[in-house]
Amino acid sequence: MTGSSGRSAMDFAAEFMPALQSATELVRDGGRLSGVRIGVSLVLEPKTACLVESLASLGANVSVLGTSNSTKEPVAEALRANGIAVFAEAGASPSRFTELHDAFIDTRPQLLADDGAATARRLHVERRDALVDLHGVSEETTSGVRPLRNMAAALELAVPCVAVNDARTKLLFDNLYGTGQSVVMALLDATNMQMQGKVVVVVGYGRVGRGISKVARGLGARVVVTEIDPVEALAAHHDGYAIAPIAEAVVNADFVITASGIAHSLTADHVAAMRDGAVVAVGGAGPPEFDPSMGAALEWGDEVRPNVRSLGVPGGPTVFVVSEGYCANTSAGEGNPIEIMDLSLALQLRALDYLTATDLSPGVHLLPREIDDEVAASRLRADGLAYDIATKAQIEARTNW
Amino acid sequence: MSDTPVSKRSRIADPGAAPSGHQAIEWARRRSPVLNDFVRKRITDGSLVGKRVAVVVHLEAKTAFLATVLADAGAHVVAAGSNPWSTRDDVAAALVDLGIEVHSTRGSTNEVWEADLLRVADTKPEYIIDDGGELTIRMARDRPDLYAELRGVSEETTTGVARLRALEDRGRLPMPVIAANDAALKHMFDNRYGTGQSTVQAVLALTNLAMPGKRLVVVGYGWVGRGIAEYASAMGARVTAVEVDPIRALEAHSNGHEVADLTTALETADIAITATGGIRAITTRHFDAMKPNVVLANAGHHDHEVDVPALARAADAVDDVRPGVTRYRLGRKSAYVLSEGALVNIAGGLGHPIEIMDLSFSVQALGCHHLASNDLSPGVHTFPGTLDREIARAKLESRGITLDHLDEDQTDTLSEILDADTFHAWGDS
Repeated sequence: MTGSSGRSAMDFAAEFMPALQSATELVRDGGRLSGVRIGVSLVLEPKTACLVESLASLGANVSVLGTSNSTKEPVAEALRANGIAVFAEAGASPSRFTELHDAFIDTRPQLLADDGAATARRLHVERRDALVDLHGVSEETTSGVRPLRNMAAALELAVPCVAVNDARTKLLFDNLYGTGQSVVMALLDATNMQMQGKVVVVVGYGRVGRGISKVARGLGARVVVTEIDPVEALAAHHDGYAIAPIAEAVVNADFVITASGIAHSLTADHVAAMRDGAVVAVGGAGPPEFDPSMGAALEWGDEVRPNVRSLGVPGGPTVFVVSEGYCANTSAGEGNPIEIMDLSLALQLRALDYLTATDLSPGVHLLPREIDDEVAASRLRADGLAYDIATKAQIEARTNW
Repeated sequence: MSDTPVSKRSRIADPGAAPSGHQAIEWARRRSPVLNDFVRKRITDGSLVGKRVAVVVHLEAKTAFLATVLADAGAHVVAAGSNPWSTRDDVAAALVDLGIEVHSTRGSTNEVWEADLLRVADTKPEYIIDDGGELTIRMARDRPDLYAELRGVSEETTTGVARLRALEDRGRLPMPVIAANDAALKHMFDNRYGTGQSTVQAVLALTNLAMPGKRLVVVGYGWVGRGIAEYASAMGARVTAVEVDPIRALEAHSNGHEVADLTTALETADIAITATGGIRAITTRHFDAMKPNVVLANAGHHDHEVDVPALARAADAVDDVRPGVTRYRLGRKSAYVLSEGALVNIAGGLGHPIEIMDLSFSVQALGCHHLASNDLSPGVHTFPGTLDREIARAKLESRGITLDHLDEDQTDTLSEILDADTFHAWGDS
């Protein structure tokens, strides 16, 4: 693939992103992002590239960071060709990535679109020098909103952050449908295996776990859910899934898919209890959600096919790990589907605009409900779908007491 | 057999590509418990020793593993692809490395592909494991003498079985044929689950689009169409089935899908997938009805179900927008064709899941073995039901699954209605 293939992949994606287009026009009318330095620290592939170009078209000075395991080079090339500063190298070593990360921070972003709070954390810990320029952060994921809330609770958070992740148009779609589809598809694409009749253990029954469970069951698997939260466990039970402690569940698993968003959810001791030939994939957060260093001693083996590496217990089973425990959908696939990211990225754009339009205090804020509703409505409109407007009587009934 | 080394007799793209091919075959072996154990033991009884067997099925890792199992049983195997687009060059190289003659490259033109089939024919196969009847019908046409000497054919697909039955009806089928496709373990699993899962997978992988909320049209509600409809719907699509057969249309309706004629269905379709087994299912007269940005893909045997040549004639511009995605601009709207209209799960994906092909190829291997160890009359034969059940049992055993059995007093028999003497006097039939 070359830069031109990156460009045509972006053009194809743009055809299926009407909500981002509506949001761009709406934000353009406000004119607030013109001349603002915006750092985009998201998975670098065609869909996020569409957000980057939207921001650039609004007059923002955009710089982009891409991680070493998820960056699509042709897309990075296409963005560079369009004059955008891109700090990304597919396959960069950890130390090289840190260099890129610092160079990205050196562009002194005023606004930051972050994923997993990776850059926000670095700014607060190692790069406080650049923190003074930062006006606000919009955060994409569950696993990023959590540390930001922890930082706020510890009174360490220096800037306002909008939890894009918590918007209904994000959480109910991206995490549930997007990740559900893309993680299961990535696992099947990487292995060429069948889902019918498989025992699939899903670790964690949040939105992502629900989506994965639904797709796996739809394709014929028997799903076993493991949870640490009794309410979510009870919900999984009511959705008709088997529930078991993880140590028991993994023993009979054909596939183990983590969706907890929490480090050390699946460990080497669990691997040691698995069947020979079981397949492990991560759908929540990257390492160490799956932590093969914790517990029994394991040995990584060969990459037996693209994106699948063997992991053995000396004298015990060999299991196969998709993308070495990085998020399967972004590492072994193209990430979440275009139409789903359309919603999430439209929200990101609106959140960045919202941060400039309002004077928020340091802390984690929700995106206002109107913005959430507008993004959902723009998509319904583009798809030619109608919905009801509440009547006066309904509104009154809702506000009576 | 010729004294020329296999590597010289073969036509493949790149012998150096073998290592990843070997890896892929080993992965397939690991996930094929029935073929690797039960079938391997069953066919290693000497009946295939020295037999010339042509394997003409989409040439990728699972097919290659089948070829090695037949070769291990003593057969002289020659392989080619059943489609110019589906061969994996690294797998072909690995097979040659394993001493199996191969005539196939990915993306060969139709002419080169047909020439490859004739080279396979010229090795004078006694048995063919065929897909779509592609080698068999070409031997009937171009190598009549060798065709007359064939000892048997085991056929993989619905399309191929229909073609071979048509030859039989015309008195042109001088050898026994096993309709492997008609085995329960084949069409109920491969066509439905295998094509269903892998087609949905390929469409999503090629486009990076979402299935939830899509209006998806399945053209043809046979086993393949049923599977696609089932999985697309499970993933959140609204499915419309298009049928010419009233019973199948009623079945689709009863399964909760919408049913409509194709022109009507296309007006709201985001994705349309052909699964008719025929040709030109979506053609010129449908183009006007298509919604802007519709995605068109084919899951049926022929590459001509989506009439791509007609689309190209009608289009103002044609360009490649992503690997495996071609845009046809028709006035102010676009249509996206996946994998140039070839079988999308194979040309645009990894083909069927391995575990499904473990069953299908177990049927094919036992079909070939059945032909070699029995003296069957010319004509199309069904796959023996006992073998079908044995494969199912072996698969269940590999999963550690146990079956129930009926006790004597649980069996409903006529003897409980008629008196025992009358029943026995009527005798068993």
